[in-house]
Amino acid sequence: MSQSQRDRHANRQRELAAQQAAQRRRERRLLAGGVIALVLVLVGAGIGFQAWRTHRAPSAGTVTPGPSAQVTVTDGQPISWGSADAPVTVDLYEDFHCPHCVDFEADYGQQLADAQAAGTIRLRIFPMSFIDAGSAAAANGFACAAAAGFAGPFYTGLFANDSLDWSDSQLDQLAARATGGAVPADFSTCVTERRYAGWADSIDAVATATAAGVTATPTMFLDGQPVDITTLTPDSLTTKIQEAASS
Amino acid sequence: MIAPRAQTRRFDDLAPWISTLARLIVGGVLLVAGALKVIDPRSSVAAVRAYELVPGWLERPIGWGLPFLELGLGLLLLAGLLTRQAAVVAGLLVVVFLVAVVSAAARGLSLDCGCFGGGGEVAPGQTAYAGEIIRDLGLLALCVWLVWQPRSRFALDHPELTRAAELEREGQR
Repeated sequence: MSQSQRDRHANRQRELAAQQAAQRRRERRLLAGGVIALVLVLVGAGIGFQAWRTHRAPSAGTVTPGPSAQVTVTDGQPISWGSADAPVTVDLYEDFHCPHCVDFEADYGQQLADAQAAGTIRLRIFPMSFIDAGSAAAANGFACAAAAGFAGPFYTGLFANDSLDWSDSQLDQLAARATGGAVPADFSTCVTERRYAGWADSIDAVATATAAGVTATPTMFLDGQPVDITTLTPDSLTTKIQEAASS
Repeated sequence: MIAPRAQTRRFDDLAPWISTLARLIVGGVLLVAGALKVIDPRSSVAAVRAYELVPGWLERPIGWGLPFLELGLGLLLLAGLLTRQAAVVAGLLVVVFLVAVVSAAARGLSLDCGCFGGGGEVAPGQTAYAGEIIRDLGLLALCVWLVWQPRSRFALDHPELTRAAELEREGQR
């Protein structure tokens, strides 16, 4: 090989190496761009997904039977279910947007509904509105439903759809599900004009003023005695209700 | 450097393993933190709101989007893909969290950082700012290490660091 041939050969090698390096850099940039785009799409899709979860229509959920009678909503007074002569009074402080309340309803809602239907307990619901605007809208809607006479199924529907925002139209849709389509004409107006917003505030005031202290939701009282929900089981709840009923 | 050559080589051998550990820790923490928030978007938004640092219209996009960003970064770090870039973003994120927690403490707010879901305001005696700050500083240190030493074992970024590739190279030698 002559000197010039060797030079040409070395030059070609260098060129090839440079081309390969450039190719690798291009591939690397492409990969980086693709992965970054993928992460951005993931974040965008995630925001879209959560927006959909809060804005979709409510499902009926498991609807437990509630009182069919219309209830007079009085400031400072809870929505009460069950016989006034029931031996045990159960007070429940809940926020319709509180995740632990959703769990509580899933774990003990049916049990309490059964005890109430059996005449063992009188269930008094204090819906609080401290989490967000949706809590207040749901509390007002719950009072509207109680006044219209379908508080029971509406209550379970609120907890079964806790991921929703509770816009007026979502509350109307839930009412349609809870009543099987026969929504009293006044309900929608009651929701829109926030007829019981003052009542919802009065319930929050009652909770704050409670001697035993309501510092978190859910908070439950059995005949005025606070119940430690963190250690509660379905069995121990049954026992507690029976003990209270027999004492 | 005064260090003899052998010691430098030992560092070169060890660093990729430390980087792998750092990737797994930071990535794992981000993945768990993101997942716990994704399943409870309302708490996530409430946690953002509790800091009182962003205007109302931004609370939801942040509360909803941030967990997914954490998930994405966590997956990249666990896979060892774009390690340096992911570590830069993760480090910036941790700095933002640090600033938020320190400012909350300085302003006398009572909140749970909401780092792993939950969050929002808590009773005045229930804050744990010191622990949260120490944890974030630790994560920040790991991110800085990864930006400095992004080469790691078991990473998609560096297939040449796998044992098989190493053996092959030795065979060729």
